Amino acid sequence: MKEGLRELPPLPAILDPGNSTRNKTGGWGAFKPNIDKNKCVYCLLCWIYCPDAAISRLEEENKVEVNYEYCKGCGICSQVCPVKAIEMVRR
Amino acid sequence: MFLREIRFHGRGGQGAVTAAQILADAVFREGKYSQAFPFFGAERRGAPVMAFARIDDRPIRVRSHVYEPDYVVVLDPTLLEVVKVTEGMREGGILIVNTERNPEDIACETCSKVATVDATTIALDILGVPITNTAILGAFAKATGEVKIETVLDSIRRMSPAKPEENARAAERAYSETKVLEV
Repeated sequence: MKEGLRELPPLPAILDPGNSTRNKTGGWGAFKPNIDKNKCVYCLLCWIYCPDAAISRLEEENKVEVNYEYCKGCGICSQVCPVKAIEMVRR
Repeated sequence: MFLREIRFHGRGGQGAVTAAQILADAVFREGKYSQAFPFFGAERRGAPVMAFARIDDRPIRVRSHVYEPDYVVVLDPTLLEVVKVTEGMREGGILIVNTERNPEDIACETCSKVATVDATTIALDILGVPITNTAILGAFAKATGEVKIETVLDSIRRMSPAKPEENARAAERAYSETKVLEV
């Protein structure tokens, strides 16, 4: 039998926790940030400002890195970087 | 000619909806019937979106979404990996893609033609922003021959929300740079 309305879970329903992480938004932007690790001073402004939490800390090296699976290329990190270590480049 | 249906795939903010409207306007001013409307969903800047248009020599009664397009226009190269843009495409349709690649590298089994143009570079050069809708309309005019490029440029000048002259120039340059492959 075809699945009908009665077989569906009651809405609104979040079917399982953390499912938004499956929505990879890395392809959204025309640009992506490129971090020059030699210039990075580990101030973590980009880490704070990133609206998608796509910047993670590399604690051993005291540097940051971008998770391109979720970065939407908004360029905020590049704007706030005080040492201009983040350049936006064409994807 | 009978009804031709067009589907635009873009990302929120690239102007897929405006592209459909400008195309419909141009077709209408050449004396044909046309309509344009967006897909209403969870659109926001960057998210995959769709818009539709129809062209006919006779009044158009259909108001539904376009499920079997004759022409598919893709405003962003990354969409090819995310969305099945050729879904439902009619036999002998034309696929128009904004990409740096050549038409030979774009897969489309049912297409009679594949056209590519690097609209992002054109838009960044001329407009300074990666908004590719007007450039891709130049490619549409070239690949399909449905409208004259002059009419499209006119409609762009009249309907662009910003930078009408620059947008027209982008479309003109895209028209001359579009690569068309007959499959």
